[in-house]
Amino acid sequence: MNIELTDVTRTFGRNKAVDGVSLAVGPGVFGLLGPNGAGKTSLLRMLATVLPPSSGTVRLLDRDPSRPAARTEIRRRLGYLPQNLGYYPSFTVAEFVEYFALLKEMPAHQVPKAVAAAVERVDLGPRAKARLRTLSGGMLRRVGIAQAIVNGPDLLLLDEPTAGLDPEQRVAFRTLIRDLGQHATVVVSTHLVEDVGTACSEVALMAEGKVVFRGTPDELTAQGEGHQVGDSPLERGYSAVLAASREQVAA
Amino acid sequence: MNDPSLNEPIGGGSRSAANDDIDLDRVWVNVAAEVWRRHPGRLERTAARLLRSPGLARALFTTPSLLLPWLIASAVVLAVGALTQVGAGQPVVWLIAPAVAAVGIAYSYGPGLDPAWELSCSMPVSDRLVLLTRGVAVFAMNAVLGLIASAATLGTHASAGTAQLTFAWLLPMTAACAFALAVAVAVRSAMAGAGAGVGAWLTLVLAHSATDGAGGGLSAPALTSAITDANLYLPYLAVAACCAVIVLFATRPRRGLL
Repeated sequence: MNIELTDVTRTFGRNKAVDGVSLAVGPGVFGLLGPNGAGKTSLLRMLATVLPPSSGTVRLLDRDPSRPAARTEIRRRLGYLPQNLGYYPSFTVAEFVEYFALLKEMPAHQVPKAVAAAVERVDLGPRAKARLRTLSGGMLRRVGIAQAIVNGPDLLLLDEPTAGLDPEQRVAFRTLIRDLGQHATVVVSTHLVEDVGTACSEVALMAEGKVVFRGTPDELTAQGEGHQVGDSPLERGYSAVLAASREQVAA
Repeated sequence: MNDPSLNEPIGGGSRSAANDDIDLDRVWVNVAAEVWRRHPGRLERTAARLLRSPGLARALFTTPSLLLPWLIASAVVLAVGALTQVGAGQPVVWLIAPAVAAVGIAYSYGPGLDPAWELSCSMPVSDRLVLLTRGVAVFAMNAVLGLIASAATLGTHASAGTAQLTFAWLLPMTAACAFALAVAVAVRSAMAGAGAGVGAWLTLVLAHSATDGAGGGLSAPALTSAITDANLYLPYLAVAACCAVIVLFATRPRRGLL
């Protein structure tokens, strides 16, 4: 298992963002669904070793990220796209991706080829020399994806990766992560249900900091039988599980 | 870490389909890699060797491109320098001054203003080491500016103040920060480096105050003289030179670097 979480909790003051989550995830594409404020981003930040858990244990790539040496090794094999990825406006696309390839301690002689491959994979080859300040929001998102995959990560964490992408780009992106999921563990956090249905082999649904459902997209769809809210079968399954979760909390 | 798919055809193989014998996608990636390749300058290559990290060297040389943080960090350094002039009779200023400057630089390059801070925190190159490197860059650049200003104001009414700011504040801080970075690079621990830097600073201030014949103890004039003593300018430079030697020795050229 590349990700093993046991009773992980993260609090910010009195607010419990992640509440006793236990998960084990192996290679493949894993979808993390949930409404805004469900705790997806906090969970992803803990998986990215940016945020330590308040309690519980985290193991990533068979290592304990609380130990500095292990954390460094995990980070070398990690790709992370934060929800709010900042950019240096004066960098070109290639420079930005190269910068993070170097910070990921890739061997210097491998960097140019890895940068070219990553930029091509997100279809930004024609804009490789363009300054980031000249790119659209969707293109910037693809730059973020390129820096995340430049080191060929064993663990790829993508927070709202399709935000700002047009429909054609989203289709291409789903193909890309399915391809990446053959070699690595890819965790995609999103509130867009259709992203999960077509790209993920497994999905977890979070609400109020807890995982309230885990299964395949088909199993999530099955939860929605007889439920009226939602435009697609998967959305109905999503809404049904969330509604049941809220009723449970209210009771 | 090394994804074999990086060398595989990209984009579904439309170019591959055109010819079974030549993998045009792979050829294209190789061509693109050469066309887009950035050639680091001699200084950056040297820094990569000294810091034992091309990533850290890149972070150092991209520092000026973060224009606003650079200016704010410089303003913080100079403001603290000016503060030390105002509070020259108060010993506490000398003791806390490095911490104040460090906080200013940390904020300027940290979550406050660095747009890619969260991403940087997930990188194996320690964000603290990057911060320390940038701290040296900020102090060194300002020390150079201070030296230029001192030379420019030589013989004028402002020369004494400019020289004191440069030699009493910027040069010692550069030396302390360079020492911290040297230790950090040698032991690959930013915490150890920062601890060594702060320890060196405190030792310098307190030792001189204890041995000062004028008053002894922690008297304000003694503490002030520990930093403003012109006889110490050479030792400061010697400390910086020793740091360079340590870094050179600890970072002998190895494979895999630029």
